Amino acid sequence: MALLEVKNLHAKVLGREILKGVDLTINPGEVHAIMGPNGSGKSTLASVLAGRENYEVTDGTALFNGKDILDLSPDERACEGLFLAFQYPVEIPGVSTSYFLKAAVNAIRKYRGEPELDAMDFLKLIKEKMKLLEMDQSFMNRSINEGFSGGEKKRNEIFQMTVLDPQLCILDETDSGLDIDALKIVSQGVNALRNSTRGILLVTHYQRLLNYIVPDFVHVLRDGKIIKSGDKSLALELEAKGYGWLENAA
Amino acid sequence: MTQMAQANDQRKKQALHTPIVGPDYGSKWLADFREAAVNLFNRIGYPKADDEQWRFINLSPITQTAFQPVVEPGAVPPAELARFSLADRGFYELVFVDGLFSPALSSSRGLVGLIEFHNFKDAVGGHSERIGRYLGHELPTISNGFAALNAAGFADGMFLYLPAGVAVDKPIHILWITTAHRRPVVVFPRLLINACSQSQATVMQTFASLNSDHPVLTNAATEVISGRDSQLELIAVEREAPQAFHITNQAIHVHAGANVQTLAFNSGALLVRNNLNVHLAEPFAQATINGLTISSGNQRVDNHTTLDHASENCPSHELYKTLLAGSAAGVFRGKILVRPDAQKTDSKQTSKTMLLSDQAVMNSQPQLEIYANDVKCTHGSTTGPIDDEQLFYLQSRGVSEVQARSLLTYAFAGDVLNRVLNPAAREYLSQLTSDCLHQLHIDAVGS
Repeated sequence: MALLEVKNLHAKVLGREILKGVDLTINPGEVHAIMGPNGSGKSTLASVLAGRENYEVTDGTALFNGKDILDLSPDERACEGLFLAFQYPVEIPGVSTSYFLKAAVNAIRKYRGEPELDAMDFLKLIKEKMKLLEMDQSFMNRSINEGFSGGEKKRNEIFQMTVLDPQLCILDETDSGLDIDALKIVSQGVNALRNSTRGILLVTHYQRLLNYIVPDFVHVLRDGKIIKSGDKSLALELEAKGYGWLENAA
Repeated sequence: MTQMAQANDQRKKQALHTPIVGPDYGSKWLADFREAAVNLFNRIGYPKADDEQWRFINLSPITQTAFQPVVEPGAVPPAELARFSLADRGFYELVFVDGLFSPALSSSRGLVGLIEFHNFKDAVGGHSERIGRYLGHELPTISNGFAALNAAGFADGMFLYLPAGVAVDKPIHILWITTAHRRPVVVFPRLLINACSQSQATVMQTFASLNSDHPVLTNAATEVISGRDSQLELIAVEREAPQAFHITNQAIHVHAGANVQTLAFNSGALLVRNNLNVHLAEPFAQATINGLTISSGNQRVDNHTTLDHASENCPSHELYKTLLAGSAAGVFRGKILVRPDAQKTDSKQTSKTMLLSDQAVMNSQPQLEIYANDVKCTHGSTTGPIDDEQLFYLQSRGVSEVQARSLLTYAFAGDVLNRVLNPAAREYLSQLTSDCLHQLHIDAVGS
């Protein structure tokens, strides 16, 4: 069974149709990249899948492990195993990262019928993952993303992703605002998550990220539709010729 | 209307506006004090609807109800006492039931000998004279009808005298608890604190009333003299029954180098009005005044504060936070008065409100009156809903909407709680806040 099966997905934002019939199938173990020019609907697709408010699905389906997720709340989708790494992670002053993450881990475990982690087990889990992303311990006591640099925020997203261990990771423009060192660390974190059961969907404007996280499939989204799919070479071709090249081809 | 009916109506009106006069316990000063208060009330009456200071609050449910004084204090069921008692949390505790001191319910071991404390009713001789010397000194600064009614009517009260240099080891909790009665009753809690130079204490008052079919009116007054270089933390926790009316007047006189911090915590009652006046009387007196209000349903909460800078080099900070759900309405009016002599004043006022429903409304007004030229005064006010993006972020990690809302509202309240100096008080208030918010979100999601 496909991990994610999106069919004929149409969605509106503030009354304007952004997605105009997206078809996309991701199987376990696959890494897909969605590329496209600004305004093509890349981030909208990521948001619709994660259940962001104010995005109205007008047609189509999205099955996750065979289950229609479009009627689920964002937290239920997360508990089902979906994770969105934000393009602009929000700062939440006054909520400590450790408190929040423990609440998230245990909400998901509860949903799956697993016993909740106590403080000790939780600490063990996060220490291990922090090492992987070269993060400082003090960060757990800080408020979520408060005063973080752009790079720290993105690293935090990947860190949360590794802790929550989702089945499908959607990364929305994770490379934007990252310098080369941060990009390497983030990519390393993502690559460590690659396995035969997990799916990864990279939403990106630039080919650069795909040098570090090599995709199995590349899709080009334009005006709310996938107009071309191929393997990783498609991304290189796009980099060389620009999105204009496809416009003529379409 | 017949003449007789008119006469009856007239009598009823008169009764509603005749102050209740408490006993004088055989002391001349108290009889005089009462008489002056009655005369003051007869002159000024209740605040009028067109009074700028009171125009956001509808007082008619109070002025049109024949509230009676409590004749015989009721019994407090142990489970109800346990809800409000902080004796197990390491507080000294002085309990008043229906306005009268209850030594049996109080836990003051260790406090005797450390400070002096006397309830007004039982204070005799020199102690009574001393109460008479200080009582009412500060409060006329907020002369309004309710303060006058309290002065005329209180049945009892507490006087705390902190000798010079004494640091009270544990926080002092004064619990005012009103029991259920078969008619509308009024109580007049009154607290007087004289903190001598270099003394230190945390004093928390809880205003509680037990559920009743009839409304309770709590008309409280607190007067504080904070002596030279003293450090006082004054916390008022309002946990009244849903039908209750709650009016407080609090006046604090801060001497040179003294540091006073206050917190007004409001979670109960149908209608709340808090008046706070802090008089920074001498150089380097400091005040930090905080507020946290959590309201829902049809609750009305009105916080009026005045920071009166009367001397030079006095810093003051003010942070009032308000969470409103349902059809609750809030008012914050913060006045900063900088008198001509108060050069080098440094005052910062912040009022922040989170609206948890479309029906909730907030009215926030800073009021700066500055008569000195070398001062720094800032004020800021924000009102808005829960940030959708923050909510989505938390939910996208698996946290339920109720829990996410709890986390975000708690974080909003958090910086007020973090300011609480005494750890035991902070822990208790954090728990109380968390409980109030949880209930609020469960109610909101359930409806």
